[in-house]
Amino acid sequence: MPSSTTDPGNSSPVRATRSRGLHGWRGFAFVVPYLALLILFGILPVLYALKLAFTKESGAWAGLQNFTHTATDYRFKPALVHVLLYTSVWLTLLILFVVTLALLLHGRASRASSTFRFLYYLPGALAGAASVLVWLFMLDPSVSPGSFLVHHVLRADLFVESIAPGKLPFIFAMIAFWTGAGGWVVVMYGALNTIPQELDDAARIDGAGPLTLALRVKLPLIRKWVAYMTILSFATGTQLFVEPQLVNQASLGMVPDTWSSNQLGYQLAFRYADFNSAAAISVDLLAIGLLGAVVIITRTGLFKADD
Amino acid sequence: MALLLRGLRLAVLVAFAIFFVAPMVWLVLAPTKSDRDLVSRGPFTFGSFHNVALAWQHLNAFSDHIFLTWIGNSLVYAVSATAIVLVTAIPAGYALALGSFPGRRLVLTTTLVVMIMPAAALVLPIFLELNALHLIGSVFSVILPFSFFPFGVNLAYIYYSTAIPRELLDAARVDGCGEWATFWHIALPLAKPVVALVLFFSFVSDWNNFFLPYTVLGDSKQYPIQVGLSTLLSSTPAFNPATGGGGQQVGIFRPELAIATLLAVVPVAIVFMLSQRALVRGLVGGGVKE
Amino acid sequence: MKQRRLWSAAVVVMALALVGACGGSGGGSSDKADVTVWVDAARLPVAKAYQKEHPDVKMDIVTFDGDGNGATTLQTKIQLWNRSGKGWPDVIFSEQVNDPIWMARKPFEFAAPLEDLIPEEVRSQWPETSTAQCTVDGKQYCVQDNLAQVVLWVNQKKMDEFGYTVPTTWQDWAALGEKVATEHPGYIVGNIGDSFSHWIYLWGNQCPLQQLDGEDLKIDAADEHCTRTASLLDPLIENGTLPPLSVFTPDFAQQYGGDDDKVLLMPGPSWYAQAVFDDALHVPAGEMTAAAPLQWEDEPVVTGQVGGGPWIISRHAKDSKAAADFVIWATTEFNPTGEGEDARPGYPAYAPLATKWLEALSANAYFASDPAPALQAGADEVWDGWSLVTYPDQPVWSDTVVTKLVAGDSLSSLLQPFGDALTDAAEAAGYAVVDN
Repeated sequence: MPSSTTDPGNSSPVRATRSRGLHGWRGFAFVVPYLALLILFGILPVLYALKLAFTKESGAWAGLQNFTHTATDYRFKPALVHVLLYTSVWLTLLILFVVTLALLLHGRASRASSTFRFLYYLPGALAGAASVLVWLFMLDPSVSPGSFLVHHVLRADLFVESIAPGKLPFIFAMIAFWTGAGGWVVVMYGALNTIPQELDDAARIDGAGPLTLALRVKLPLIRKWVAYMTILSFATGTQLFVEPQLVNQASLGMVPDTWSSNQLGYQLAFRYADFNSAAAISVDLLAIGLLGAVVIITRTGLFKADD
Repeated sequence: MALLLRGLRLAVLVAFAIFFVAPMVWLVLAPTKSDRDLVSRGPFTFGSFHNVALAWQHLNAFSDHIFLTWIGNSLVYAVSATAIVLVTAIPAGYALALGSFPGRRLVLTTTLVVMIMPAAALVLPIFLELNALHLIGSVFSVILPFSFFPFGVNLAYIYYSTAIPRELLDAARVDGCGEWATFWHIALPLAKPVVALVLFFSFVSDWNNFFLPYTVLGDSKQYPIQVGLSTLLSSTPAFNPATGGGGQQVGIFRPELAIATLLAVVPVAIVFMLSQRALVRGLVGGGVKE
Repeated sequence: MKQRRLWSAAVVVMALALVGACGGSGGGSSDKADVTVWVDAARLPVAKAYQKEHPDVKMDIVTFDGDGNGATTLQTKIQLWNRSGKGWPDVIFSEQVNDPIWMARKPFEFAAPLEDLIPEEVRSQWPETSTAQCTVDGKQYCVQDNLAQVVLWVNQKKMDEFGYTVPTTWQDWAALGEKVATEHPGYIVGNIGDSFSHWIYLWGNQCPLQQLDGEDLKIDAADEHCTRTASLLDPLIENGTLPPLSVFTPDFAQQYGGDDDKVLLMPGPSWYAQAVFDDALHVPAGEMTAAAPLQWEDEPVVTGQVGGGPWIISRHAKDSKAAADFVIWATTEFNPTGEGEDARPGYPAYAPLATKWLEALSANAYFASDPAPALQAGADEVWDGWSLVTYPDQPVWSDTVVTKLVAGDSLSSLLQPFGDALTDAAEAAGYAVVDN
């Protein structure tokens, strides 16, 4: 008989009644294979990165030397600025348009709505190198179907002008949005579907128009998912690598191979054989990712309802 | 007013649809044209199937049929890693959601934290780790890191803690099933939606991953297709002219790049299409109205 | 229902995996190959030709980006192989003439000294300047595939049509550019948007941006040689006769190439010959030829260099003799007489082969008149004040200068930023930079 009330001696929480079978080592056994992977590729690398970041090549303690060394590298600040600018533009696009599109689609659920959703996340199949290749063509005014937009919005008559340094964070953000937004629209739409119909009806009875319904009723209820999306996207945004790497190749070096922080870390590790400095950059990125996550979690109370 | 709003809504939805779909339509049509056609003819015109065959011939001839090898590699990595993910993540999510054992909270928190961390920032330490284990150069240098998929565990955890009635499991136990049998016969079949989800996300994430294979693979024959595409790009005279002249012999021009990109996307597009319903339904757990 | 669909998808995917894995390269893995070579696209024909002529030698030919345009591909790859202790190819062709410099030193230590691998009597047939560029700490670590001296390419047909004489000095060339802008707008006298344009215009004019003096590196962008060149070029960049575009882009070919080509003059390396004008720009036959490199008025003739194509043999090669044999064959024997795409693109560095190549060039019907004398003259005139260093300077030029030229800035205003950026790159690579 599963216990459903608090037993003072029992440390299990009230809400979830745990099946009595999965206690102790029996439960643990299910987790062991995953645990091995978690340690090997989740925990150890973080610890290893920390160790490398605070030691010299010989293994001696280096204090903050690697961090100051990389921070004073002439490529560090530009790379960081690029990455942060890119991430903020991308997150803005994501939050703004994913939520808007999801709300618009949810307003009048229909077959058309599911067709739209399907079309939106088709590009998700092309993440990574493939999407960059497609956009190299889209940004070339001579072959692009959007050459009108390239000429007038990007103000570029030639491909080299499309990838001018000032435009790059926006271009990369657009590419990332193109591949990633659709998936999140689907998630948000699903989240909107969990809103009980009664709430909808009650608001309508109260006289709420579609706009009010969307902004005052639905939006706050999917706040958790928006926060979730922001955290994950922030983490992936700061680790940008493939887009600038490919554009570096395609632009004959006009876009440097240290445009993003991750690229700089890679070059430090493999070109200068300096894994310690590269680890310092990795730790910087990890810290930024965690900081962003903590900020978002505390500001939105993301895990309040959770365990 | 309502009509205006409705019109506006439709306009916005259609505009975005065009934004998302137009490049893909272009991509499908591009191999039907020759390199000259791409520039001189309209972007959505259809060329000829002959051009497609030519583009494929050039692509296949590149570097001794290495394109097919790259696709094969991607499949091997993604399928193997996803298999391992399913075998490890689903049971783990199950036990984390429904079990109680020391360290449960710790594993959960760690999983969450690691999931938030930028995975690419860990590639360099992972490289050194793999090197210490003498795995560099073997396919496991890619498959094993790919098999670690905390997002999958998270999904399974959320699903099991919200969607499975415990009474069902207890009933099985009362009937005499051991823990493994309970999982295998009751919990797992009930988790089809989340299995589909984890399979989908893991496969797509592995297929599209660039940085890890780029870093750990030294032999171009082992590259997955994403890294292969970057090699292809660097052999396209338009994008990377060979200083010293020539390069045209390699025969990789823009239609060949287009068809390479298209083919690189086909397997994951297949998985996409087939998982569509599972995605929408199972994503937020529990019952979802359409 | 949905599960069945996914299972069938899984089956399809696994089937494809098997097909892909089996249908891949049938050319044997690198373990079985006698010689593994890494070549760029332009050197693929020579590797294939060697395999054809030596069927008993098992070769593994890998095409890569050639480390072109200042890429760091080889540096990162060699690090990877060094760290994992395996995977090195036996022979590498590089488009970056400075690659052997760092390949010979720590921490890479990849290049094998050639004294024992290539006989002295063969090596002595390379010009001294070429061998000097391959020599690090007294040992020779590479042989260059071709000489890449900058000459002045001339569209003789159009020059005659317009009644212009071929300039011999930079000043005359600039004056002609101004004339062309007013009389024949749309035509160009050169281009400055390639990743190596600074080697043509700055190296060729003795601008000290990479001058090794013992252990110190002199980078002085304010030097008179640099500033006067920039002042000469700025009006031309502005009036459109010296566009900041790369000669290899499809945009360039569309605008300035084709039957109605607009290329009047073009300072460029010897390998531009047919590779650029015919294959890339599709300039019709009977128009192009070469003239002697431009000189600064009343000063000795010096010119720049774009490439050289070093071949490097790996220290870790299992069969060094086989590797050396391939390199020797590629540099001393490979000289297909076919035209166009099949011809050897570069002016061979190996002197006896150069003679043959020049003969074929003279007889080549593509050119309006014999370009060989100009090429030969330029071969000895490369300025030796530009040293080879361990870091690539091409991306610095592309990133700091070309992007801004495209945006409309003048070259004079970009010289100092260029110098500063080069200093940053040099110091990051461990050099002690001296300004003056």
